[in-house]
This record gives sequence, C-alpha cells and structure tokens, in this order.
Amino acid sequence: MTGAELGQIAVNALLLSGILALVALGFSLVWGIMNIVNLSHGAFIVLGAYLTFWMHALWKIDPFVSIPVSMIVLFGLGYLIQRSLINQVIRAPLLATFLLTFGLEILIVNLINYFFKADTRSVQTAYSGTGFALGPVRVPYIRLGALLVSVLLVLVLGAFLNRSRLGRAIRATGMDIDAARLSGVKVAAIYALTYAIGASLAGAAGSLLSMVVPFDPNLGGPYTERAFVICVLGGLGNVVNVLIGAAVYSVVEVFVGSRLPALSQAVTFGILVLLLIVRPQGIAGKSFS
Amino acid sequence: MKRSATLLALALWTLAGFALAADTIVFGAAISITGKTAKEGEYTRDGYQFAIDKINEMGGIKVGGKTYKVALKYYDDETKPERTAQLIEKLINEDKVNLILGPYGSSPTGTAAPICERYKIPMVEANGSAESIFSKGYKYTFMILSPAKLYLRGVIDAIRGKDPSVKTVAILGENESFSKEVAGGAADYAKEKGLDLVYDELYPTNAQDVSALLTAIKGKNPHIILGSGHLQDSLLIVKQSKDLGVSPRAMGFSVGPSSPEFRANLGKSADYIFGATQWTEALRYNGDDPWKTPKAFGDAFRGKHPNYKSIPYQVAESAVAVIAYQKAIEKAGSLDPTKVRDALAAIDLMTYYGKVKFDARGVNIYKPMAVEQYQPDGNKYTVWPADVAEKAALYPMPPWDKR
Amino acid sequence: MAKAIRLILLVAVLAALLLLPRFVSSYKLLTYTTVLCLALMAQGWNFIGGYTGYAAFGNVAFFGIGAYTTGLLMLSKWHLSFFPAVFAGALLSAFVATLIGLPVLRLKGHYFAIATLGVAEAFREIAGSWDSVTEGATGIDLPVRSDNTFFYYTALGFVVVGVFVTFLLERSKIGYGWVAIREDQDAARMLGINTTIFKVAAFALSAIFASLAGGIIAYQNIHVAPNDFFKIEYTLQMIIACIIGGTGTVWGPLLGAAVYQLLSTYIWSHFLELHPTVLGAIIIFFIVFLPRGLMQLFGRLGLVARGRRRVGWDILLANVRASRLE
Repeated sequence: MTGAELGQIAVNALLLSGILALVALGFSLVWGIMNIVNLSHGAFIVLGAYLTFWMHALWKIDPFVSIPVSMIVLFGLGYLIQRSLINQVIRAPLLATFLLTFGLEILIVNLINYFFKADTRSVQTAYSGTGFALGPVRVPYIRLGALLVSVLLVLVLGAFLNRSRLGRAIRATGMDIDAARLSGVKVAAIYALTYAIGASLAGAAGSLLSMVVPFDPNLGGPYTERAFVICVLGGLGNVVNVLIGAAVYSVVEVFVGSRLPALSQAVTFGILVLLLIVRPQGIAGKSFS
Repeated sequence: MKRSATLLALALWTLAGFALAADTIVFGAAISITGKTAKEGEYTRDGYQFAIDKINEMGGIKVGGKTYKVALKYYDDETKPERTAQLIEKLINEDKVNLILGPYGSSPTGTAAPICERYKIPMVEANGSAESIFSKGYKYTFMILSPAKLYLRGVIDAIRGKDPSVKTVAILGENESFSKEVAGGAADYAKEKGLDLVYDELYPTNAQDVSALLTAIKGKNPHIILGSGHLQDSLLIVKQSKDLGVSPRAMGFSVGPSSPEFRANLGKSADYIFGATQWTEALRYNGDDPWKTPKAFGDAFRGKHPNYKSIPYQVAESAVAVIAYQKAIEKAGSLDPTKVRDALAAIDLMTYYGKVKFDARGVNIYKPMAVEQYQPDGNKYTVWPADVAEKAALYPMPPWDKR
Repeated sequence: MAKAIRLILLVAVLAALLLLPRFVSSYKLLTYTTVLCLALMAQGWNFIGGYTGYAAFGNVAFFGIGAYTTGLLMLSKWHLSFFPAVFAGALLSAFVATLIGLPVLRLKGHYFAIATLGVAEAFREIAGSWDSVTEGATGIDLPVRSDNTFFYYTALGFVVVGVFVTFLLERSKIGYGWVAIREDQDAARMLGINTTIFKVAAFALSAIFASLAGGIIAYQNIHVAPNDFFKIEYTLQMIIACIIGGTGTVWGPLLGAAVYQLLSTYIWSHFLELHPTVLGAIIIFFIVFLPRGLMQLFGRLGLVARGRRRVGWDILLANVRASRLE
C-alpha cells in the first residue's frame, strides 16, 4: 500500500468518523439515559435525509441550511413518540422497548417507502464532488463540512448536558430515576426530551448523509447497527466516548472496506462480539446497564 | 331504475369477464416495481405491456384456428428474490396463468426458474443474464438476452479501439450472481487481451459507500475502471469517484448508463462514461416481428410513452420475449405448456432486437452486445460495434476537476 | 370437564390439520407449510427467549445453516435424501450454537441480543463469500420436488413433536431451571443450577428447531441464497409470533404463528402497499397492550365462559399500567 493510499484512507476515516459520531450520539444518549436501544434510530436518519432532499428539490434550500429545520421536525416527532408510546412500556422487560422501537422502525420506514417510493435519491448541489487536494490526498468539501457540523453538534450537546439545568436533570434521571423524581424532576418529560434530542441528532445525521450517499428508504438500518457498535466500542456515559468509539470504528471500517469489502460486516461484528466478551464497558467508559 | 342498471352493468361486466377469460392467454410475471431495481422493473413491465398491446391491436395470437387475446398479470416482487418465487407459485397455482414471463434481474430469475421447472410451465426471461441459472439442467427456462460475461467485453474493445496502449484495468462488482459473472467475464477478457488486472473486488449488494474500494483503486491508478452492478451502484461509484478525485482514462458500467436515470441523476458527470447495452436504436436489424427495425420499435414506443427520449434496452428485450412466445405458440398450435416449451427450444428468429435462438441450455448465445457513451452535447450515442456506431467514442475522460 | 373439552378440541384441530391437504389448493398448502415452519422456529425461540429470558436476535443464522447443510448434503456426491440431510443440519446447528453460546451467553440483555444479531449477519456474509462451498451470492438449487404435501406433513410432524418436547421440558427440572434463570439468575446460580449448561441447552435447542425449519423451506423453495435465508425478517417473525401468542407457554408460539400469518396474509391481499406498515403497527399494539400475548387472554376465557367476568379490555389497560413510566 502506498503512502498516498494510506493518507487517503486516513482522511476518509476522519471524515467518516464525524458523521458516524453524530449518528451514534443520539443513540448513545437514549441508551445511556433511558436504557433503551432505539432500533428506530435509523428511521429518524432516513426522515432527516428525505426532509433535506425535499426542501432542496422543492424550494432550493441549501442542504446545510436545512439541517436546523430537520432537527426541529424530528425533535417534535421524537418527543411525541416517547411521550405517547415508549413511555408506556418503560418498566416492561427489556425486550419490550427493543421490539417496540423495532416495530416503529418498520412502520416509519414503510410509510416513507409508500409516500416517497423506493427510488434512489441524492442531494446534488453546485458544490457536490468538489474538494481540495492535500498532496496526493483528496478532501471533498461536503464531507469536510459534514465533519464540522458533526463536531459542532457534539460540542453543543456536551455543553448542554454538562452546563445547563435541563442537561443536568437529564443526566440525573439517567443515573437514578427515583432520586431524580424525588428531587422534583418531571421524569416523563425528561425522558421525552432525551428521546427528542436523540431523534433530532439522527435527523441532522440524515440531512448530512443525503449529501454524501445516494439513499432510499432503507438507508437507516446499517447506521443503527453502526451506532450500536460505536457505543459498545466507546462505552456509554459521556460524549467523548462516542467520539472515541466513532474514530476507532471508522478506521476499522475504512480499512476492512478497502481490503475485504465482502466480509466487512462479519469482521466488524466479530470485533464487536470479542469486545463485548472481553471488555463490555468499551474502550473508555462505563456502561449504564 | 338505478338498481336494474347496476345489475345490467354487472351482468355485462361478468359476461365480458368470461369472454375475456375464455379466449385470453394470460402471461404471469413477478417484477420489481418497487425496491432497488424499481426503475429497471418498470422498463420490463412497460416492455411486456407494449408488446402485448401491439399483439392485441394486430388481432391476437392464433392457436390452431382460434384467435386469442393476450393479457399480462403481474405482481410487485419488491426486488426481493424470495418474494419472486412466492409470487410465481401464486401465479401458476392460484391465478392459473398460461405462461410465465421473467422478472427483472438474475437473482429473482434464479429463484423463479426452479419453480417453473417444478410445475413444467415455460418461462421466457429477458432480464436475467447469469449463466449459473442455466447450469442446473432446467428445461423450462429460456433467456432472451446475451449472457452476463459478454457485457463489458464491448466496452473493453471500444476503449482499446481508441487507445491500444491502455494497460491497466480495475474492476469492482456487486456481490450478486449476475454482476459476479459480468465481472468475471470482464476479468477473463481483459487478461485475454493482455491487460493487467490491478484490482478485482466485490462489494456487498446493498453497499451505500464504496469510498474504501475507490481509495484502494485510486492508489493503483488504473487506466480503465469497470463497474459491474446495477443502476444504483453505477451512480454511487461515479459520485464517489468524483468525490475522491479518482479519474481514470475511461470508465464503463455494465448496467446504468443505458437508463435515462443515469444522466438525470449525474448531470455532466455522466459524460464520457461508457455503458454496456443489450440493444440500441442505432443497431441495424431487420426482423420478422411487428416493428422490424430498432428505429421503428423506438419510434413506436415513444409514441405511447412520449417522455422517453431514448429507449432503455430492458424495454426492447422484454417486448421481444412476448414476441418469442407468440411465434412459439403459433408454431406449436397449442397452449399446452410442454408443446410451447418445445417450440421455444427450436425457435430461430430474427427480430428488431437481434437474433432470438437458444442453445441446448436455453441461453441466447447468438446476439452480440453493444456499447453506448454519454457525450457532452447531452446525448447518448452507440459507439460500438464500429459498423453500427452513430458517433466515434470520446477518449480519454477529462479528470473530474477539469470539467 | 374443562380438560375433556380441551382434549377434544386438540384432537379436532389435529384431525383438521391432517386432512387439510385434501381441501386446499397446492399453493395454499405452501402457505400453510410456511406457517408451520414459522411455528417451528417460534417453538425453538421460545426455549431461549421465552423460558430462559435471553432474547436471541440471531436465530436465523441456524435457519440458514440448516437450509444450506440440507441442500449441500442432498446435492453432494453422497446424494443424501432429505431426512438424513435435515437431521445432519440440525446437529450441525446445535454444535454451532453451543460453540457460539458458550461465550455469548455470558452477555446480558441488549448486549446479548445484538451479539446474536451480529452472528447472524456474519453468517450471511460468510455464506455470500464462501464461493467454493456455498456458491456465494449465486446460491444453490436443491433437487426439484413437486408434491407439496411432503413439505406440509414433514413440517406438521416436526411441530407436533415440538409441542411434546416443550410440554415435557416445561415440567422438567430443565424447564424450572430455565425459568429460574429468567427470573433471577444469581439466585438460581446460588441454588446450584449450572446456568451455563442450562442456557446453552436452551440455545442449542432453539438452533435445532430453526435449522429443521430451514431445511424444509430450502427444499420447498428449491433455490437457497444468502440474502434470502439469513435475513433478519425470519428472526423477527419468530419473535413476534412468540410475543403475539405468549412466550414461555406451550401453545403460545403456535397460536402466535397462526395469528401472525393470518394477519400477514390478510394484510397482504388487502393493503399490499402498506403491508409492512400495518405489521409494524400490530407489533407496537401487542408490545404495548398485550406483551404477554394472547395466551394471557385465554387464561381468562374460562372465567368468561362461566359468566364470572366480562370480556376483559381491562387486561389491555392493566398491562399498560403495569409497564408505563409513572
């Protein structure tokens, strides 16, 4: 392998890790705070992608500009879903939320399929495909922009969770729900808020992805899987862990993808299972399970 | 008053239904109207329907003294091969169709073929070119189109025709029966012609990101990049090649460029790209069928579907499948599935699509492939074989950032 | 009295099932076989997911292993007939389940679920790339068999055996051990139950059932390809069937499979385009309102018949109240 190829792989991994960190962020939050593995995370990603696509196709809104809009819409949707649906099964055995979110995923994705059809879409702007060269390595502008947006959102979320009152309420609820309730925290609303934030981050990720890959209603599934692996790799607990997990995962995926593309999932999951057995709390963190 | 009118209408409708049922040959098909190959599935269905309408216009099919109308009954298999098998079972057993027309794609054709074999109902398929389907000894399946391994040969020839000094080739293919054979056929042919195969890998069917493979390919700096997949994959590869600055001297795909979606999605990025095609309007055939020449077929289809500028080959080959059936049924003089099957096995027909004749396995090895290329004036031209080329191929492809 | 009625009902149902092929079309028979195979898979999943409480999300791996093993052995130079091939497949699946189960069953909850999911995906990829053995993405074709009654009766036979097996195990030490593990694994361990062996046994058993179903469907379908036989939909169907029917019961999986297939077929013919959407809604409905499945309702029917209770919609609300966030 030449130096140029290695360099390009490194750059690809870096750019990918930005988007994947964003994908995993919302997932990690919902899992860490509410112990819910949200299988409908992928559906929210797809919704975000379609929102950006249609805003661009119908009203020529620049995809980066559409990100806040898609985040707001998905925030509302997530809040509704958690408040009305998922809160009803919180205290049921683990499988319940797992399957509920799965049922939700099927429902949402197929509604999207019904309304928007299965045609492949992508968001093409005037600056699609442009980039600059860093020696022999090429850095596409859009992927770079996606990385920057992701980092921004990660930092914002971190600040929110650590500095703001609501953020602290969320973390408290995650640590000890009864204590939080006794301190006056409205747990039902906090849960809904957490889920809503998770959904909105997924929406942002979807909006970014719409610019980067051609997509159809089935875009989300593989990203939910990746989110899971990243959370296990990095460990739940805080935002930095997600970044670490995303970075490690991206390197593995890009590297395996260039050498053994047909077995990329097998290798990834092999690593995952190994890790779960040897070090379940992940590389850096502690798990909330 | 209203009641009896309704009753009358119902009675007439039922009678008509009976009449239709009694004297209609029904072709059954499971086609991907939604899912990954939805666009290609649409072309297939439109092709079938177009030929069926034409046959009905011309009176129908004569079976031993009686004339039958023709109809198509199809279901959407959602680009899920296991669904195809289920639907074929339904069509044969429940809907009791007479004969089967193939789905779009080699994978669904591969699941449908054994079902047709089980019930001894013929299937003429026009969109599944993997030869692996025909290595199991099935007697009831017939392939109208040219086999997979030939797809990219013409592309290689066209490129070498412009530049005999090309040496290095990179192939990336979808890990799926048809695309594997295309990639394999291309690899063999490249080596045969003395080219160096510097990269030859498969990516998973629903891959949404091939940047890792393209990065590896970029490192090898090949003269030619060949992609073997479906429309969605070719779009992905072109976009990500542009993203990563992978600029070979020429790029060609097995499936994708012949579809109007290719340029619609890629705009100017589609220029200079070669595409394998089973058929174009520029070819010069004169056939024993309702349209006779490729141009006439194209004009007629455009007459019914005005939004098409150029006709995807899937439409042409699907329509000719129905024509093949017509000829076979008329020759057999019967609708008995085995007799029709035997007539199909013996068929030797020239059509607007090319020669339709099957070898002992049921494969049409008698028709060559052609090559198209998108050019900067916004059109797509047939550039190979040389004797039917509309325009000369443009070569080399300017690097992405210099356009 | 109630017991006698139940026995008569059972015999009647069995008789009806045995006579079914005379009255339905060949195509419908295939659908029934598919339901029976789903019931078979659900019965198997019931051991690990229902009784033992370990939600395995990758049992389709064994379905696929069963399908491929059956097919490859039938196509091999020994030309095995169906039954030896499918039993060999079941043995192989049990072996693989034991190998994988030993490390993976040490994980809990979500981690176990996703680990098993990963295993299934890995097997799918291996089947798709191991060209020399499985022919990769192209897939293999089993010998063509035309009598659909064969598949039906085989599936029926396996399901009946499955009922007996579940019945006996439920009442045995093993069954109690499983439930103990589900309710409180640490207590169970402290009482001297070798939780590892019990868990692996449940997992291996679930693998055998899935594998048998895979062999039958492979033979019925003729064509076996990685994406069709290792797809997650099968896992979901077996889990949903158990949920609808009621996990941890003898009849739950069968009831659930039947109801699921009924719903699925009905929806497919009336709401073709929205078919999966409606299925998703049904899943959600059951999880929220009837997490213990229809068997929970049936427990009440005796009381309803005797006039002691009105049909209890309150069960649905009670379920929600029990599991909602306060």
